[in-house]
Amino acid sequence: MKINQKIFLQFGICIILFCLIGILINNLTVNLIRTGLGFNFSWLFKPASFALAEHPLPYTSSDSYAWALFIGWLNSLKVIVSSLILATFLGTIIAFARTGKNSLLGLISAAYITIIRQTPLLLQLMFWYFVGFLGLKDNMFIHIKNIFNITNQGIDFSGLFFSSEFLALSLGLSIFTSAYIAEVIRGGIISVSRGQWEAFRSLGLSERKGLIRIILPQALPAIIPGLTSQYLNLAKNSTLAIAVGYSDIYAINDTIINQTGRAIECFIILLFSFLLLNLLITNTMEIINRLILNSQKHT
Amino acid sequence: MFKINISSIIFSLKNLKKTLFSNLFNTIISLLIILFISKACFNTFEWLIFKADWKVVTTNLPLYAFGSFPPNEQWRPATWIISLLLLSILTLCGPEWKWLRKNLLKVWVGTIPIGLYLLYGGIGLSPIMSRHLGGLTLTILLTICSSFLSLPFGIVLALCRQSSLPFVEKLSSIYIDVMRSIPLIAVLFFGQLLIPLFLPVGIEIDRVWRAIFAFSLFVSAYIAEDIRGGLQSIPNTQIEAANSLGLNQYQIIQFILIPQAIRIALPALTNQSIGLFQNTSLMAILGLVELLGIGRSILANPEFIGQYIEVYVWLASVYWMVCTIMAVLARNLEQKMTINQANF
Repeated sequence: MKINQKIFLQFGICIILFCLIGILINNLTVNLIRTGLGFNFSWLFKPASFALAEHPLPYTSSDSYAWALFIGWLNSLKVIVSSLILATFLGTIIAFARTGKNSLLGLISAAYITIIRQTPLLLQLMFWYFVGFLGLKDNMFIHIKNIFNITNQGIDFSGLFFSSEFLALSLGLSIFTSAYIAEVIRGGIISVSRGQWEAFRSLGLSERKGLIRIILPQALPAIIPGLTSQYLNLAKNSTLAIAVGYSDIYAINDTIINQTGRAIECFIILLFSFLLLNLLITNTMEIINRLILNSQKHT
Repeated sequence: MFKINISSIIFSLKNLKKTLFSNLFNTIISLLIILFISKACFNTFEWLIFKADWKVVTTNLPLYAFGSFPPNEQWRPATWIISLLLLSILTLCGPEWKWLRKNLLKVWVGTIPIGLYLLYGGIGLSPIMSRHLGGLTLTILLTICSSFLSLPFGIVLALCRQSSLPFVEKLSSIYIDVMRSIPLIAVLFFGQLLIPLFLPVGIEIDRVWRAIFAFSLFVSAYIAEDIRGGLQSIPNTQIEAANSLGLNQYQIIQFILIPQAIRIALPALTNQSIGLFQNTSLMAILGLVELLGIGRSILANPEFIGQYIEVYVWLASVYWMVCTIMAVLARNLEQKMTINQANF
């Protein structure tokens, strides 16, 4: 194409797009005026007047909407980080079981992966919450001298209290994500050439030591990118918290929309809070990736 | 045939002995696992057959399948679902009928208007409102319509992202990146809330179609990335060859790029559609009574209160079944595609 034609085409697309956006914004303003809502963010500093069951920082219902949103963001971060660690741990074990020599363990882990991956996450979360935690009777479970108590309210570990909503959510998320992480790690382990396995066996290293010392470090560069995308998926999936009543960033946005009706402002806030979460995860993984690459260069 | 089977069994038994009972430690672990598996299987079967009260499932079967569709019209969604099932079986067996084999894709696409006609009614059938749709019917409708809408949109987005026009390229990459960074439930929720706000006064789209549009907007960003992967793996020589044959740009896109890109991206695309099928369950939170939503409303019925395990196990097995059917169909399709490619 000639350069003139290109510029002309882009100009045309530009005009069409602006017309479209103009029509949409016109409709929006007409509708907003009709419903009596404007577009501003001043409501953020009014008192929220709803209670939150879970807050890592002090919060009362007379605090502002902005503070409530920040608490929700922290709650999201809390559940994401905890289930991220648990999911990685579980996924690694399952991947080892899947790639190991024992065919029974391989069978169990394959069944686990298919069952977990072929059922919706929301169904699993509801199962863990309604069957796993709310199903517990008060007298049924462990009480060890006020140090470790499991009830249908949650787990109390010597004063450190985890609510059953938080536990069900992080358990469900980590079990769901672990099936995907196991496949990522298995892919990485398979990508290491068979010669490496034969080499460490002929050197007399045990199977477990060889896997951890020889195979895994070589598989890591292939694993990290897949792992990052699974972590991002986990962060996005954590918004299903609303199904079990955990007050994460999305649930609080939902409450605020129900109270004030400010859907567009809340959408923008949600967009930016997820941008922040995604940036946090990708940057951390980037740093880890660089550390691994550096450490491999030195050895 | 029989001899081969016996020898292969003996071989696998020997292999099993080598892998499971090679030394004392492995033997103990294997025995423990066998004990654990048999115990778990025994308990599960005991629960499934004797302890579980399946009345909550058996009395509500029409609800799970059709939702609150008028009872004397329920043959319509039933015909649709059964014809879809038959069609998948036919596809798997490889139809003998030559006409069908040639036009399989067209028949599959044709199920969408037929299904819509059967569900919504119109000429000759009594019209049914969207709010009467529910259960498995609604889940399948959401999946099929949104994947059908999102595929062309995804292809256009992928082509735009590869475009040489910087403005178009920037716009589509912003759209794709933003859509991929926000959670699905937010897109669905704001689809329900915001789509009416952006429409002119007087025009309204009902909840089901708002959900379908929101799903399509979301999934098309993911499809675009999969197709872009396919586009990037096509060697540049193909385009040069097409240029030297005198094809123009649109012909290159239509006959060279898109067919190959879709073929390469097919495994990823089928994963997307299976994921979409599972994700339709999110609409249960947002007030549509699809499969999971029906389960929730049945559990809210005082007659069946507290029977969470039965309902969830039943729903999980339904989801698992449909996902498995989709996965098997997809694998079948991939195999056919690779055979076609080998013929070149």
